Amino acid sequence: MMKVLVTVKEVAEVEEDFEIEGTGIADRYLEYDLNEWDDYAVEEAVQIAETGDDIEVVSVTIGPERCEETIRMALAKGVDRAIRVWDDALAETDLLDVAAKTRILRAVVEAEEPDLVFTGVQAGDDSFGATGVSLADAVGFEWAAVVNDLDVDAVLDESVARVHRELEGGVDEVTEVDLPAVLTIQTGINEPRYASLRGIRQAQRKEIAEKHLADLGLDAEAVETDVRLTEMYEPESESDATIFEGSAEETAAQLAQVLREKGVGAE
Amino acid sequence: MDFELPAEHRMIRDTVREFCEEEIEPIAQEIENDHRFPAEIFGQLADLDVMGVPISEEYGGLGGDQLMYALVTEELGRVSGGIGLSYAAHVSLGTKPLELFGTEAQKERWLRPLATGEEIGAWALTEPGSGSDASDMDTTAEKDGDEYVLDGTKQFITNASEAGSVLVKAVTDPDAGYDGISTFIVDPRNDDGFEVTTVWDKMGLNCSPTCEIALNGVRIPEDRLLGEEGEGWTQTMKTLDGGRISIAALSTGLAQGAYDAAAAYAKEREQFGRPISKFDAIRDKLVDMYRKTERARLLTHKAAVRYDGGQSVTKESALAKLDASEAARKVAEDAVQVLGGYGYTEDFAPQRFYRDAKLMEIGEGTSEIQHLVIGRQLGF
Ligand SMILES: Cc1cc2nc3c(=O)[nH]c(=O)nc-3n(C[C@H](O)[C@H](O)[C@H](O)COP(=O)(O)OP(=O)(O)OC[C@H]3O[C@@H](n4cnc5c(N)ncnc54)[C@H](O)[C@@H]3O)c2cc1C
Repeated sequence: MMKVLVTVKEVAEVEEDFEIEGTGIADRYLEYDLNEWDDYAVEEAVQIAETGDDIEVVSVTIGPERCEETIRMALAKGVDRAIRVWDDALAETDLLDVAAKTRILRAVVEAEEPDLVFTGVQAGDDSFGATGVSLADAVGFEWAAVVNDLDVDAVLDESVARVHRELEGGVDEVTEVDLPAVLTIQTGINEPRYASLRGIRQAQRKEIAEKHLADLGLDAEAVETDVRLTEMYEPESESDATIFEGSAEETAAQLAQVLREKGVGAE
Repeated sequence: MDFELPAEHRMIRDTVREFCEEEIEPIAQEIENDHRFPAEIFGQLADLDVMGVPISEEYGGLGGDQLMYALVTEELGRVSGGIGLSYAAHVSLGTKPLELFGTEAQKERWLRPLATGEEIGAWALTEPGSGSDASDMDTTAEKDGDEYVLDGTKQFITNASEAGSVLVKAVTDPDAGYDGISTFIVDPRNDDGFEVTTVWDKMGLNCSPTCEIALNGVRIPEDRLLGEEGEGWTQTMKTLDGGRISIAALSTGLAQGAYDAAAAYAKEREQFGRPISKFDAIRDKLVDMYRKTERARLLTHKAAVRYDGGQSVTKESALAKLDASEAARKVAEDAVQVLGGYGYTEDFAPQRFYRDAKLMEIGEGTSEIQHLVIGRQLGF
């Protein structure tokens, strides 16, 4: 028996044209979907479950009732059951920082005792990019961040996560991490499947357990934060483009002229 | 009355939409130009349990309802009328009658592979000499011992060239009129005397094969009779009641696809210093397109919900099909107009919707025949 816990989050995607109201984007310009990275994390977990025997995949999210449909899509793709943490105290905070998420997720990890935790590298909305590693630290698990390849057989046979990590500048690092571990999953690690229609129908009957902070042994203090969202604005975008017009020869000559003026190229 | 779709239906619609946008839309024009039936797409649809949406799980289907089936068909139509038509013919015409009228053994042998999508289905009613007046058919099935022998020609049969089974209507009793027609399950790959003689080049929907088939002394065992002898015509009426809902859904999809293309273009395209959507003439056209599409969808969903409630839908499905097919043609035509010269090119989708939409006013009963059906239902 092995358990994989996947943290998932519904994120708001902003339409091309939008308006900012206060410190947020007006609701009418938002569409909600599963965080892109989490889609890959779910797929990786489901692939492990399909490869091995007796493996349970559980997803956990912190979010309001609205996100159940998004969570159900992960259930449709093969997650066995889901936990949704929500609370009045959560509804009242307008910014849930990494520390608060860590406190909540730590409580879930301690209750569930998974062998592996997958998180997305980051969430597309507030992009802290820190929850996975912070959680690993809090629960005392090993971790590997920005994982873009995982040897599933090694996980099953040797209880070790043999991973490739994507580093800056196209460098690929190969690391071994003993379980239990937290891996933050990078896009491209796999090809997320479409939910099958039968999966969607079965997902309607799968459990999404709602947990309040008290159920996890926490109180409103757990979500307090010193981080405050003070302002949101669209930065002025500067563009300085010159468009050359004319035939290929003419435009090439104009480009050469500019390059020469800027001091590029051999004299 | 609840106009919100149930969550399950919404999730299914969204998933199929995502699949259609990612996997079908990019090749939709190419398969049209190549006149190619995209077997690989149907394979993927089978893997996602799409091919047997309204068929019972007991026989490998999804166990969904007609509303769910309509939603899926609409999404296919939104990207490819041809794939949508082959799909609707497979489900409503080739598969559903086996579930409704088949014996247990027939369901195991013929329904299951269709419901899972392993095989594609077809349904052969129309003949060269009998279209709108469909019961006036010449194809015959003569009993010979414990076999039937089929002779005749069927015209415009969707999917026949790809099918694992074809449900063929034939006259078993020439003196009995409507009650002399029966339905037979023909195996196009293994029954001698079955031949696809033409695959038509058409105005649109060219990735959906439309075939002429010849039945020359096709000898089949008697267990290929679907239902009882003489039930072929009542079966046909029931089949079309459901089938017309899917053509209405497909038409709604075509209209939606055309509207989407026009709306996006009208916001981007600038003439006289502003987006063309800001000109009253174009804005009014877009609003009108939206109105027709929404109306088509409402009528379609109403017919589907009634079907699921076990109520009679002869009038509702004919009305939905009549309205949605006209909406599809008009909306697609307007979409071409909104795109101007670009709308007339194959680089943009509206012309394809326009070509595809026209058939919806012809197949499964022409608009003239829908008027006849509705008129009769209204007591005229
Ligand atoms: C792409 C495509 C796919 C098809 N797929 C299938 C299939 O899978 N299986 C199948 O069996 N058939 C299929 N058909 C056939 C289709 O159902 C017929 O073409 C349709 O029913 C019309 O018959 P017809 O073409 O013989 O036209 P006709 O019946 O000859 O009609 C010609 C014109 O006369 C009008 N008309 C006829 N009778 C009347 C009347 N009483 N009152 C007023 N007007 C009338 C018609 O509305 C039409 O405008 C398909 C056709 C096409 C083009």
